[in-house]
Amino acid sequence: MELMKLEIVTPEGVTYDADIKQVTLPGAEGEFGVLAGHATLVSLLKAGVITIETKDSKKLDVAINSGYVKVDESKVSCIVDGAVALTAGDNDIAKKIEEARNLLKSAQASDTAIAAAMGKVEHIGKSY
Amino acid sequence: MANLKDIKRKISSVKNTEKTTRAMKLVSSAKLRRTEELAKRSRVYAEKLTSMIDEIALKIQSLGDSANSSVYFKNKENPKNIDIIFITADKGLCGGFNSQTLKRVNQLIDSLKADDVKIRLSAVGRKGIDYYKFNNIELSRKVIGLSAAPNYEDAASFISEISDEYASGKSDQIIMVHNGYVSMIAQKVKEDQVLPIDINRIEGKAKSDSELEIEPDDDNTLLDALVKRYVEYSMYYALLDSLAAEHAARMQAMDAATNNAKDMVKALSVKYNKARQEAITTELIEIISGMESMK
Repeated sequence: MELMKLEIVTPEGVTYDADIKQVTLPGAEGEFGVLAGHATLVSLLKAGVITIETKDSKKLDVAINSGYVKVDESKVSCIVDGAVALTAGDNDIAKKIEEARNLLKSAQASDTAIAAAMGKVEHIGKSY
Repeated sequence: MANLKDIKRKISSVKNTEKTTRAMKLVSSAKLRRTEELAKRSRVYAEKLTSMIDEIALKIQSLGDSANSSVYFKNKENPKNIDIIFITADKGLCGGFNSQTLKRVNQLIDSLKADDVKIRLSAVGRKGIDYYKFNNIELSRKVIGLSAAPNYEDAASFISEISDEYASGKSDQIIMVHNGYVSMIAQKVKEDQVLPIDINRIEGKAKSDSELEIEPDDDNTLLDALVKRYVEYSMYYALLDSLAAEHAARMQAMDAATNNAKDMVKALSVKYNKARQEAITTELIEIISGMESMK
């Protein structure tokens, strides 16, 4: 399967930078998935969860509060305000979930959007 | 002949000064390391944001007439009202750091005044505010404390007032002047045009061929949000850059001061020893001549 590059940048620095198979992003007009070779696109991101399928087919979730994404054929660059990675097998996953929850709470978005994102985070928390 | 006691007192006072300047240097170098790290990390974010704006600007430009639709990219031929934001430190004792910035601001004011442009000054940092107060030049906005401890929310609220006025047409251009960090031993005064975003600087960059889709597709929502973010972040980054430069400049100044103090202690010690020797010689002569006269 063709790979593409994903970058997640926050004001605190680069949080994620690797080759991946697929990514699902919480766009302002609805969630959308991106595979390698996607047409160029710029979109607003709302509070939610970025789901990444890594090179070795592992699943990785990153909770974000808001930001922008630029997609082109070989690269996805996310510029977000805040991000918390929720990695499977992480020992302090409970702490991470808590962090993600606080991050979402701080997002300036509608209550429903935040509630939806929260639900997602809770669900991820249970699945580990 | 200088009094022995006076010289001794002077030596100990210079030694104390040396201790102080050395401590200040150490403090600055520790703070510099922290600020530099912060600036380095946020530089990546700033670069990404800028490249995204550039890409959109290019697309808008290639569409031709719609370039006129957004105020953020429109360069006015003869700007009439210009906002100048400048950043200085809250504290002194950092060599020519503040005066370099102020000099540049004054040059800018002079050259703009010659073109009959109305200028409004917005100051960040106590040193710049004091300087213009002393010279009786009015400042439209001033903040103290932001340049010593940059924080995103405050930086954003400061600049957004100015950029809102730009958006509403009250001013035609926003220029930011700050003394930026180059390396541990060098600072450089930077003058950036914040708004309108200069499309000319982007030209010539490689761009992707495929059609750019923008979501949400009434492209003002995205563009407004992006430009707002860009302006706020430019401000925040300039503050960090300026703070790093301030610490570097202070480190340098304090290092020089410490060395000067050392040299002075050396010179004074020589003077002290000479004076002491002289005193001893005089005393000896007195004793000997006293003995001679008793013979």
